[in-house]
Amino acid sequence: MNEREARLRQLSDSVVNMDDEGIVELSRNYIQAGHPALDGILGGLVDGMSRAGALYEEEEYFVSDLLLCSDAMYAGLGELTPHLPEEAKNARKPRAVIGVVEGDTHDIGKNLVKIMLETAGFEMHDLGRDVPVADFVAKAKEVEASLVCLSTLMTTTMTNMGRIVALLEQENLRDTVKVIIGGAPVSAAFARKIGADGYAGNAVEAVGMAKRLLGLETPVLA
Amino acid sequence: MDAMTPLERAAAIAKGEAADRLPCNPNVANGAARVLGCKISAFNTDAKTLAQAQIASYRRFGYDGVRIFTDLFAWAEAMGAKVACPDDHTADLAAPAVTSLAAIDGLRPADPRKNGRLPVYLEAMDHLVEAIGHEVGCAAGIVGPFTNAFFLYGVDEAFRLLRKNPAAFHKLCRVSLETCLAYAEAAMAKGLTPTISEPMSSCTVVSPAAFREFSLPYLRELVDFIKAAGRSPVIHICGATQKIWHDVADLGVAGFSVDNVVDLKDCCRAIGSKTKILGHVDPAGIMYGGTPADVRRRTLECILDAHDSPKGYVVMSGCSLPVETPFHNIDAMMRTAREVGYPVDPDKVRAMLAAIPDAAPGA
Repeated sequence: MNEREARLRQLSDSVVNMDDEGIVELSRNYIQAGHPALDGILGGLVDGMSRAGALYEEEEYFVSDLLLCSDAMYAGLGELTPHLPEEAKNARKPRAVIGVVEGDTHDIGKNLVKIMLETAGFEMHDLGRDVPVADFVAKAKEVEASLVCLSTLMTTTMTNMGRIVALLEQENLRDTVKVIIGGAPVSAAFARKIGADGYAGNAVEAVGMAKRLLGLETPVLA
Repeated sequence: MDAMTPLERAAAIAKGEAADRLPCNPNVANGAARVLGCKISAFNTDAKTLAQAQIASYRRFGYDGVRIFTDLFAWAEAMGAKVACPDDHTADLAAPAVTSLAAIDGLRPADPRKNGRLPVYLEAMDHLVEAIGHEVGCAAGIVGPFTNAFFLYGVDEAFRLLRKNPAAFHKLCRVSLETCLAYAEAAMAKGLTPTISEPMSSCTVVSPAAFREFSLPYLRELVDFIKAAGRSPVIHICGATQKIWHDVADLGVAGFSVDNVVDLKDCCRAIGSKTKILGHVDPAGIMYGGTPADVRRRTLECILDAHDSPKGYVVMSGCSLPVETPFHNIDAMMRTAREVGYPVDPDKVRAMLAAIPDAAPGA
């Protein structure tokens, strides 16, 4: 392992180990050693988040751990992003709108999906929770999103997911906007029933599905 | 519609005597408002309506247990958190009680007779016990100390605190527990048995190690306090729980109510000799989204998996039912339990299962 690889590994480890303080200095040192910021983000921070995601899928890490890993990742991003070349800073990322549908009260799962998609290079527009049906569509239009992610933990709001898909259709946005749904009460069968493009069982699955649906095979983060 | 009242049934089964059927509690929560025909927001201020809705729902379906409980946030609210109370939806946490480390020391246990909506619940308990306390078990729902701690400090910030300042998190749990104890005491004085919901303790949310360090000690104090008063609570934890089954069962509680994501048979095998198992028909996919035939199938499957659990089994949903769960699905669960009867004959259950027409593909 050469010096650069060792630094990348340290960055990645700091994300996995939820060290949001240590990672700041590691990131600065990485830049000072003359390495490109983009590699640091992809090979260090994003790599760490992917490892954390894998640990979550193996039930070694829990929702709370992923949140803290992402704190470390964002702390590292804060140091590395300013050093990206201008064209990378201005590169257009795929945009996604995410939110918990109307009348819902839980958003831990939604926050995880947002973090993991951000890690994968999406520009995320988070509408929060208890979001009215029309707001999803308005936001998707406004930011020219290619992806809408709908989450719910409550069955009472499931039906609103179908209304959002229908409204996207009415607005002739269904060809350009993919819809992924998730949350405890919904299923792949329900996704098919309401005409969504897919159902993701957890945050890691959501990333894989988003990339597949949009034809993005490699990380697009810049 | 039943030959025995729920209390007669429970007593007979406990003594090993003949009974008409297994206990069955579909777990109607704020959906009771749909039976009575009131707004859910009435439960926040009107004790009589809160009790009347529970009574109406019990009379409508004939299930084995009623509970005063409207949402997870009432105890944090009574300690200073803000809740949003929509007109006809379940209340939601709007802002935690404290947002800084220093403010944790300023938190005081709630006085259930004075703070927030707790006095409304306590008054509703009087109405409930007076009307139906002689025939059905009346429970006072309460959120466990660990879960309530998250609402005192805000969920995401509380995760950070737990990791970075365990001592401060313990302080939160301690004052949270004091509120739980005070509420449990007040409810028991009115003749109700507390039931504890601990969703944040789920293995879906925190590690078993975190559960054992930050949740279990306070949960044990709460359970021991309730047991010392001669009652025994049922505990419900949402989501995955397999890795902490023995921890919960070893508390010596009356029962453990499990989510539909766990393996019911494994659960009975693991801890069924220590505590009663309740569960676990999917409240969303089946009870809310399914047909009466789906409900019948899942209810029968659960009964087959759990009917011979050594400390007993209660047919139940995996969590509180969605507000708009169709009445015909709740009826289907009750009807299925009635048809199965007691003691359960597994061959009869299998025959009932085989007689259900196959579901449409993809349903």
